Amino acid sequence: MAASLTFPRTTFAKLSPQPFLLANLSPPDPSLPSTRTNGRHPSQSRVPLVTTSSLSHAHGSAVVRTGDTTVICGVRGEILPVTGIPAYRPRSFTEADDVVAATVERWDELREYDLVVPNIELATGCAPQLLPGVPPSTLAQTLSTRVYELMHTCRLVDVDELRIWYHPARNTQEGGDEKMEEDGGEDEEEEARPELKAYWTLYIDLLFVSLDGNPFDAAWAAVVAALRDTKLPVAKWDVDRDMAICERNAQKGLTVKGLPIACSAAVFLERDQGLHLAQEGRHWVLMDPDRLEDEICQESVTVVVDRSGGETRVRALEKKGGTVVGVEAMREIVGLAERRWEEFSNAMPKK
Amino acid sequence: MTVAAPEANLGILPKSDGSATFKYGGYTVTASVNGPIEAARRDEHPYKAHVDVIVRPAAGAGGTRERHLESLLESSLSQIILVKDFPRCLIQIVLQVESVPANDYVNTKLVQAGINLPIIPALVQTAVLALLSACVPMATTAAAAVIAVVPAGGSTKAVVDPSQRELETAVSSHAFVFTAHGQLLLAESQGDFTMAEWEDAHATANKICCEAAKKDGMEMILDDEKQAGPDLQAFLRSTLEAKVTEDLQWR
Repeated sequence: MAASLTFPRTTFAKLSPQPFLLANLSPPDPSLPSTRTNGRHPSQSRVPLVTTSSLSHAHGSAVVRTGDTTVICGVRGEILPVTGIPAYRPRSFTEADDVVAATVERWDELREYDLVVPNIELATGCAPQLLPGVPPSTLAQTLSTRVYELMHTCRLVDVDELRIWYHPARNTQEGGDEKMEEDGGEDEEEEARPELKAYWTLYIDLLFVSLDGNPFDAAWAAVVAALRDTKLPVAKWDVDRDMAICERNAQKGLTVKGLPIACSAAVFLERDQGLHLAQEGRHWVLMDPDRLEDEICQESVTVVVDRSGGETRVRALEKKGGTVVGVEAMREIVGLAERRWEEFSNAMPKK
Repeated sequence: MTVAAPEANLGILPKSDGSATFKYGGYTVTASVNGPIEAARRDEHPYKAHVDVIVRPAAGAGGTRERHLESLLESSLSQIILVKDFPRCLIQIVLQVESVPANDYVNTKLVQAGINLPIIPALVQTAVLALLSACVPMATTAAAAVIAVVPAGGSTKAVVDPSQRELETAVSSHAFVFTAHGQLLLAESQGDFTMAEWEDAHATANKICCEAAKKDGMEMILDDEKQAGPDLQAFLRSTLEAKVTEDLQWR
């Protein structure tokens, strides 16, 4: 009879995932180290793999792979004339620099005019529980919101590089006329100021090719890698045709400020009994959770760190769904995130 | 900056199992709670109740931002509600934002995609009050606070319950939700900060949210202990005490 009660690993995992993960994390022999079902140590993350410029029609693209989570990101710039912006607040060329430098008030054009538009598509058949071709799930909407917000709080893209100016013809005319115009007086000097005519809008589309847990880390890394890879054509405003004209061969790379990297962890409780018992029993902090762990664990932490300036700056922190992670545990997770940052910054293609 | 003391009303909606209005720092939120009720087939869980949170913005229809807030609240509230006591049931919490503080300096857009961090405390507080009003069994209560780190002449300082203007200029902003035992239930931070700054903000928020629980309302507040903000656990308790006294008037 005993033989009929044994079944293979995969059946055990499917029948009762929680005890299955627990059995792996606390092996009967105490001398063995606790490993997860995927063979990793609790604090071990999957090796990231970043490839850029794989899409030929996008201005910038990246494929990021961590284990079996694969996400592809494409960045496409579209020209948005200022006449097409409702409630547009014009600004002059000289004002542009003065205002930013002089006052603390940041007139956030990126956010106000929605110049970056990230979208995440999960309904691609990337995981069994996500049906293909359905309206965006809560997870997809939540991820989009987080990516959007993080892009703005990190100020990843400089709005100055997205502006398309109209330089009045005076500057490009030959030397002969210049002398005459200089005699023309102050009125023309006023008129000869460059004028802001259009913006580049960046459409950032993320597609999950396969999802094996931890979608946010991979999605965010893909956004950063794709933006670092983005080259926008040099555009000028043609006043006669009243439209922006891109040069055929000249391109300019986008500068991306810093290198923020997201690092997620899930907390697995030995006894999932609700809060009143959460303090009893052991718990494990699992870095870079896979799909099984994502489903079982209720508490999750995401920290976004940036070490590109030398010291560790935290750019965002989110913790929800439990009470295990306090100040101490958070400090440890940030420590692990620093290690993760090194891994990702090595994996990112050098500029 | 001084903010008016929090205000709350319990049981304002006659038809729902429980309801509450909470007014603080420019935010007014009304919540209704129904439950435990029968869950829809796809939400049914054999061992526990499903907690469904719906957030409705002050203007317009809910978008991706509301979905994000809902998922944050859902995961946190299902930790404090004794969900295992009601298998195959549904506890539905509907939060209607009535008013949000306006920023006089910028014209606000109706639809915004980003995270609305300062609204989290108001939503959590209202949800907890409504759950108490509905007599839904909970392991503990929760209290929440927002801290903004704003630049102040070369250095930075932490501001409790920041105004919209302060949030605009803040280097980093943090929302914390604590249980009555002082455990961190939900944390959401954005901006540019170090872990030391986060720990400071955590300590300040913890003080506001759980001071009453630690002292148990027996000791006197010493003069040198300056309260950084309102004591939210004490507020929760006094609100409920007032409600219970009112309900027992007929005796």
